[in-house]
Amino acid sequence: MIQVDTNKCLGCFACSNICPNQFITREEEEGKRRTVRWAKCKEECDICVEFCPAKALALVPYSERTPEMIEVSFDLVPCEVCGKGFATEQLLKRIRETIPANLQKDSAGRSWVGICPFCRRELEAETASKQIVQSRRF
Amino acid sequence: MPEHPANEGSLCPKGNAALEIVYNEDRLLYPMKRSGNEWTSISWDEALKLVSKGLGRAIKNSGPDFVGFLSSSKCTNEENYLIQKLARSLGSRNVDNCARLCHAPSVVGLNRTLGAAGMTNPIPDLANSKCVFIIGSNLAENHAILSRWIHRAKDSGAQVIVADPRLTHTAWLADLFLQLKPGTDVALLNAMMKVIIDEDLIDKAFISKSTKGFEDLVKAVNDYTPEKAAEITGVPAVDIIRAARMYAKSPASAILYSMGITQHTSGTDNVQSVANLALICGQMGKEGAGVLPLRGHNNVQGACDMGALAEFYPGYRKSDDPETAKFFGQAWGIASLPAGRGLTATEMIDAACEGRLKAMYIVGEDPANSDPWSSHVKDCLENLDFLVVQDIFMTATAQLADVVLPAASWAEKEGTYTSTERRVQWSNRAIEPLGEAKSDLEIVNKVANSMGLKFDYPDATSVLAEINSLVPTYKGITLERLGIGGLIWPCPSTDHPGTPILHSAGFKLQDGRALIAPVQYKPAAENTWTEYPLILTTGRISVHFNAGSMTRRSPSLMERAPNLFVEINPGDAAPMKIEDGDSVEVSTERGTTVALARVTDSVKPGVVFMPFHYPGTNFLTTDARDAEAKIPEFKVAACKISRRD
Amino acid sequence: MMRVYVDINRCIGCRSCEVACKRVHGGKGHVNVHITEDRASVPLFCHHCEEAACTMACYSGALAKDGERTSFSLDKCTGCGLCRLACPFGVVWTDKLAHKCDLCAPNETPTCVLTCPAEALSNDYEVALKRARARAGRATILGGKR
Repeated sequence: MIQVDTNKCLGCFACSNICPNQFITREEEEGKRRTVRWAKCKEECDICVEFCPAKALALVPYSERTPEMIEVSFDLVPCEVCGKGFATEQLLKRIRETIPANLQKDSAGRSWVGICPFCRRELEAETASKQIVQSRRF
Repeated sequence: MPEHPANEGSLCPKGNAALEIVYNEDRLLYPMKRSGNEWTSISWDEALKLVSKGLGRAIKNSGPDFVGFLSSSKCTNEENYLIQKLARSLGSRNVDNCARLCHAPSVVGLNRTLGAAGMTNPIPDLANSKCVFIIGSNLAENHAILSRWIHRAKDSGAQVIVADPRLTHTAWLADLFLQLKPGTDVALLNAMMKVIIDEDLIDKAFISKSTKGFEDLVKAVNDYTPEKAAEITGVPAVDIIRAARMYAKSPASAILYSMGITQHTSGTDNVQSVANLALICGQMGKEGAGVLPLRGHNNVQGACDMGALAEFYPGYRKSDDPETAKFFGQAWGIASLPAGRGLTATEMIDAACEGRLKAMYIVGEDPANSDPWSSHVKDCLENLDFLVVQDIFMTATAQLADVVLPAASWAEKEGTYTSTERRVQWSNRAIEPLGEAKSDLEIVNKVANSMGLKFDYPDATSVLAEINSLVPTYKGITLERLGIGGLIWPCPSTDHPGTPILHSAGFKLQDGRALIAPVQYKPAAENTWTEYPLILTTGRISVHFNAGSMTRRSPSLMERAPNLFVEINPGDAAPMKIEDGDSVEVSTERGTTVALARVTDSVKPGVVFMPFHYPGTNFLTTDARDAEAKIPEFKVAACKISRRD
Repeated sequence: MMRVYVDINRCIGCRSCEVACKRVHGGKGHVNVHITEDRASVPLFCHHCEEAACTMACYSGALAKDGERTSFSLDKCTGCGLCRLACPFGVVWTDKLAHKCDLCAPNETPTCVLTCPAEALSNDYEVALKRARARAGRATILGGKR
C-alpha cells in the first residue's frame, strides 16, 4: 500500500492525475483551497510514488492500523496583484528553491513568483505595450 | 490558401471557428412542422405540400402581393437569383434581403451618384493608399483582413484618419481620431468639404470633366464652418480642418465606411456625402483611392447584384421601370411580371402586422433577432397566416414558423459568392449535406415546382449560365474562368479580365458624369431627454457575427465573449454607482434588457454601446427608417441605465 | 531566434490566433491575447527562453531545451503544474497535463503566424526587424506627431 508523508506533500495533484484506480481524489475550491485524499489501497503498483515531485509517497507493506483515508488541505496563497488564491505555499516554496534567484525577478526587479499566471501575463502585456498605449491616448 | 489575393491565407476568429458551426449538434436535419409549441419531423414531400398550400392560399385568397420573400445574403448568387425569380414569377413584388438592414443606403446612394454600388477599389489596393479615411467602420474587428493592407499602406507612409463615436480597435490604427457624436456624419463631412473648397484643394479638372452638381454643393456646404460642425459633432474644429487637408492633399485617398454611415435615418444622405467628398477631390478611378463600402455578409453584394431587392431586378434594373418587366418577362417566359417596387424587408414586418402580408417565405435570415424593436417583430411575424423558414439552425425566427426547412451550409453545396470587393468566386462542395438537409438551390427548385412553376435547374452551373445571359456585369463570369481569386465584375465578356478599379474611364451614368448630390445635416430620429438621457449605439465585436445564431453556437467563440455587455463611460457610471462587471438594466421606449456593465473610456460620456450579437440589444433599437432606403436607425436610440439591485 | 515575434503596433486584438491555436492543438490553445487599457492588445505565448525556468522546475524531463526551442514531451508529463508556476510570463498552461507553444512543430510556420489577419506575428526575426524599422522611419517622417 501507499504511505503518505503529508508534511512533504506540495498539493500538486500529480498522484491524483496518475493513479490508475482512482484511489487518490482531489478537490479544488477555486481561488481558495486544495484538498487531496488518499484512500487506503492494497495495490503494489508504485506509479504515484514515482510521479510525486516531493517524494512524499512510499510503497510499504499493508498494515491494518493505517487509517482508511488520509486527507490534507492547503489554503491557496493569494496572488499579490489580484488577491485570488492560485498556488499552495509548498508549491511556491519549491519554485523558489528550484529557480535561480536572479531569474526570479523581472526586468523591473520585482519578484513574480507570488503573482498568479494570469496577472503575470497582464503585467507583461502592460510593460510591452506601455508606449503604444500612450501614443493612442488621443 | 496563401495565394488568395485578399487574405493571403489569413482568417479572422470566426473563420477559424467555422467548422464548429458546420458540425454543430443544433443543425436542422429534417423538415419540421409546428402545432402549438410542438415540433414534429416530417418528410420533404409533406413539407413541400404544406409550403405550397400555405403560400398558395395567401395568393389565392388575397393576391400575390400578400406574400413576402426574404432571400439570404449568405446564400449563393444562384440561390438568390432563383428566390427573386420565384417571387416575381408567382406575381409578388415583395422580395428583399438583409442588405436592407445594412447597406441599402449604399445600394441606393451609390447607384445614383456613381452609377454602381460596391467597393470601387479592391482590398489589396489599400496598400497603395496614402491616406485612409475610415468613417463609421470598425474594420479591425469586423473586416480584420483589411488591417494587413492598411498596415502595409502605413509602412509606406500612409496616414490614417478614423471617425467613430467609440475609440475602437480600428481607432488604434489612426494618426487622427475624430470622436464624433452618433448621427452627425453629414455635419463633419460637409465641414471637411467646405475647408477643401475654401482652401482650393479641390480637383478642378476632375470636377469639370467627370461630375455635375458641384456648384450646388458649394452653396450647400457654405454654412458648415469647422466651428459649427464642432458644435454639432463634438469634434474639435482644428481636427476637422486637419482631416480635410490630409484627405484632399494626399495623391491617393480611400474612404472606407460601413454601418456607422448607413444605419441612420440619414443613411442615404451620409453615403452621398461620402461620395461627394471623394468626387470633389478627384479620389476616384485610380489606385489607392475610391469609395469603399465594407459589406458584411459573405454574399450580400451578390444578393443585391442578383436583384433580391424590392427596388431592383437582377443587374440593378429598376423594378418600377416597365422595360425591366418586359425584359425579364421575355427571358423567363412570363407574360406579365408584376410592375413597381415591392415591400422592403423592414416594411414587410409592418405589413405582416397590418394584415397586408399574409404569408412569408424566409430563407437564411433572422429578423426576430436582427431587426430593431424585437417585440414588435415577433408580434408581426406571429400575425402571419403562414410562415416558412429555411435555415441551418432553429433561429428565433424559425421558432415562429409553421414549417421549417433544413438547409445545407456553405460546405455542403456549391455555387458562386460575390465578396465586398465585387469579387465573384466559386465555392466547391466539400461534404454531403448533413441529415436530410438540402442545398437552398434544390429546395427553391422544389418549392417552385410544387407551386406550378417550371424550374428545371439541376445544379448551380445551370443557374449561372442564365445569370450570364441576363446580367451584363456577370456575362463573362463562367465556372471555367473562376480560379483562385475569382473575377471582379463588371466582366462583360468571356475574354474580359474583370474590373478591379471602377470608374477609371468615367461613370456609367448619363453623359458619363458622376452626380454630386448635396445634403443637409439633420439629427437622428430619437433624441435623448430626461427620461432616456443616454445615446445607445450598437455594433459588432470581433468574435461574433451579426445576430449570433451561428457564432453563439461555437464553443471557442463563446468562451471569448459569452455575455451581452454595455460599454459606459466612467463619468456616467460613477453617479449611478455602476462598477465594471455589474449587472445592469438598459431600457428604451421599446423594451428593457439586462447586460453586464463594461466601464471604459472608449465611449464619451453620454454615449453607451451594446453589441447586437445577443438577443436583447434589438429589444431596444428603434425602427425609425431612412425615407428612401428604408434602413432602420440602429445606431441611435435614447436609453437609460440602472443597476439591477 | 526561435519564437513568434509580436508587432504590438499591428495587433488589432481580433483573437484569431487564439482560436486557430486551439483548433490545431486538439482544443488546447496556448496563446492568450491581453488587452491593455482598451488601447492595445498583446498576444502572449512561450518565449522559448534561453534560460527557461520551466525546464528547471520540471523534474520529469518533459520540458527541456532542444537547441533554441523549449520542447515539451507529453508522455513525460506528470501533471504536477510546477511548470505553470515556474514560468515568469504565465504562458505555460495546465489542463491536468501541461501544454504550451510548440511553434507548431514540425510545420515550418506556426499556425498563428499564418492566420493573423493583421500580419502582427512573425517567426522570422528579419521580418520583425524590418517592420520595426519601417515604423520608426514612418514616425520620423511624420515628425512623431499624431
